[in-house]
Amino acid sequence: MKGYFGEFGGQYVPETLLPALDELDAAMETAFDDRAFWDEFNSYMIHYVGRPTPLTRAKRLSDHLGLDVWLKREDLNHTGSHKINNAIGQILLARRMGKNRIIAETGAGQHGVATATVCALFGMECHVYMGSTDMARQQVNVERMRLLGAEVVPVEGGSATLKDATSEAIRDWITNVDTTYYLIGSVIGPHPYPSLVRAFQEIIGREARQQIIAQSGSLPDAVIACVGGGSNAIGIFSAFLDEDKVDLIGVEAYGQGNGRHGASINFGMPGVLHGTRSFLIQDKDGQVMETHSIAAGLDYPGVGPEHSFLATAKKACYVLVDDEQALSAFKLLNRLEGIAPALESAHAVGYLSEYCKGHEGMKVLVNLSGRGDKDIHTVIGS
Amino acid sequence: MIAESIRNHKKAIIPYVTAGLPNLETTGKILLALQEAGAAAIEIGIPFSDPMADGPVLQKASYMALQSGFKMDDLQHCLKGWSSMLEIPLIVMSYINPLMRKGLSRTLISLKDSGVKGVIIPDLPRDAGEIYADCTEIGIDLIRMVAPTTLPERITKVLSECSGFVYAVSIKGVTGSRSDLPVEVRSQVRAIKDMTDLPVCVGFGVSSASQVENLLAFADGVIVGSYLMANIMNAADPVRTAHDTLHGLLNGS
Repeated sequence: MKGYFGEFGGQYVPETLLPALDELDAAMETAFDDRAFWDEFNSYMIHYVGRPTPLTRAKRLSDHLGLDVWLKREDLNHTGSHKINNAIGQILLARRMGKNRIIAETGAGQHGVATATVCALFGMECHVYMGSTDMARQQVNVERMRLLGAEVVPVEGGSATLKDATSEAIRDWITNVDTTYYLIGSVIGPHPYPSLVRAFQEIIGREARQQIIAQSGSLPDAVIACVGGGSNAIGIFSAFLDEDKVDLIGVEAYGQGNGRHGASINFGMPGVLHGTRSFLIQDKDGQVMETHSIAAGLDYPGVGPEHSFLATAKKACYVLVDDEQALSAFKLLNRLEGIAPALESAHAVGYLSEYCKGHEGMKVLVNLSGRGDKDIHTVIGS
Repeated sequence: MIAESIRNHKKAIIPYVTAGLPNLETTGKILLALQEAGAAAIEIGIPFSDPMADGPVLQKASYMALQSGFKMDDLQHCLKGWSSMLEIPLIVMSYINPLMRKGLSRTLISLKDSGVKGVIIPDLPRDAGEIYADCTEIGIDLIRMVAPTTLPERITKVLSECSGFVYAVSIKGVTGSRSDLPVEVRSQVRAIKDMTDLPVCVGFGVSSASQVENLLAFADGVIVGSYLMANIMNAADPVRTAHDTLHGLLNGS
C-alpha cells in the first residue's frame, strides 16, 4: 500500500493534516520528476554544502582492529552533519510550494542548525521546537540557531526532549497548516516524510558506493551506521540494498542498558507515534517510555518505518552500542585518526570493536554522520 | 444508541473527561454529576503520553492522570460499572497506540463488553475501512472527525465509514478553549448534514454558554473538553465543579 514499508509507515494523523500531506506528496512527486529540481539540489550540494564528502581510509584504526575501515565523511559537510542534505532538499520543495514559514523539531540541535541555516540562505521565517532539557545540554547549538535568525521555542511538556519537540511541531503545523512547511529532520513521521527525507540522503550512499569501488576496487563486506530516527543509515544503506553480499548494520543506542536506552528495534514493539507505525519503546499500556542516550540525536523512542521493515525482512540487522562504548570510540577515533565524531556517529564506530571479532580483515564502510565539536563538553564531563 | 441519545436531548452536549484525574473513583462520580447536569453522552479520554492533537490543558490532564498511576486494566474494570450506572452512552476517546497495544480488535471487543457504545480516535490511519468494518461487526460506533480543511471527496469517504455521530472539528488547531469560533463552522456543519443522516456535533474550542447556544442553532450537539477539564483541574471539589460547569454551559450562568 502507498506510504507503507511492509506493515510499517502510513499516515496516522488528525484529519486536519491530511490535505497538507497530500499537497506535500503531490509536490514531492512533481519535483522528483523534474530534472531542474535535482540540478538545483545538486548545485547546492556542490557549491554550498561542499559535496562530495571524502571517503577516508582509516589506516591506524584498521591496523588497531584488524579490519579494513573506510569512513564516509559526512562530518565535513557545511554545518557539520548529514542533516544539511535533507534541509536543502526540503527548503527547495517548500519554496516550490510557496510556503515561507518553516518549522522544525530538533534534539541535539544538528537538524535545527541545518534548518536555521537554509532558512537564512533562502530568507524564510524559521521556528525550531526544542525540548528544554535538550536546550540546556546543547546550549551552543541553541545560540547558533539564534545567530542564524531562527526562533528557538522551548518545549516543556513530557520529558522535554526530541519526542516532545516533535509533538509540539506537529501541533504548530495543525494550527498554521495553510502557511507553514514542516521540515522534519529524519525518516520518521507520516508518509511522505520517510520517503522524502530518504531521497535527499541517498546522495550519501551513491557517493560512498562509487568512492569505495574507485578507491579500494570493490564493494565493502559491511556498511555500518547509527540509527536514531535513521536518516543517515537509510541514506548510506540505500545504495547497497540490492547487494546480498553486503551486510547492512544499524547501530542503536543502548544508553545505560537496563531499560535506559533508545533501542527501538531491539526492545520496542510495533506502535504508532508521530503519525507513523514502527517499532516503538512503550510500556504494556501503549504509553511511550522515556529513552536515554548520551547522544541526544539517538534519544528518541521511535525509528523510521523503513528500518522496522528492513529489520523484520532481515535485509539489515540492528545491533547495540552503549554510552560507554560510544565514548571509548569517540576517544579512539580522535587518537588514531585525528577525527572527532559526533557522539551519534561514535556509536557506529564503537560497533567495530565487536564486529572485528570473527571478521578479521573484512572491509567495512562506516558512515561518520557528523562531527563531534558539539559533544566535547559532554565527553569531558563524563 | 449514541445518535438516539443526541436526538432525544433538546440541547445535546457531550462533555469530555480525562480518565483517572485525580483518580478513577472520582472520575466515576464526575460522570454521574455530568449526567445529572444534562449531558447527552460522555467522552472518556484515555490519557496518552504524546497527545499530538491536544492543547496545553488536555496535555496536562493526560500527564497528570498518568503521573497519578492510570492503568488500562483498572479503567477496563471501572468502565463496566460506569456504563451500567449511567443511562446515557459512554464513548471512549483515545489515541490509537494504547488501543493497538494488545490488538485493536481485541481492545474494541473488551470495550464493547464493558458497555462502551463508541470510540473516537484522532489519529486513525488514512484508510480506516478495515477498522470501521471491525467496529460494525463488534457493534461499537466509530465516530469520525471532519476538519475545516477536509475536502468534499474525503468527507464523502469519511462519512461512509462513520457511525454514532460526525465530529465536526471547528478550527484548524489543537484542542483548547477559544473565545471566538470561526463563522465558517455553520456552513461546514450544513455541508456535512447535507451528506449524512447522522447527527453532526461540533467540538474544539467551545468554552461558553453563548457559544453552545449559537452552535446548537445549526448543529445537533456540541462537545466540551478543555474548558471543562481546566475547571475540574483547578477545583477543590471536582465533582461539583463538573456539574456546575456543564449546567452553566447548558443554561447560561
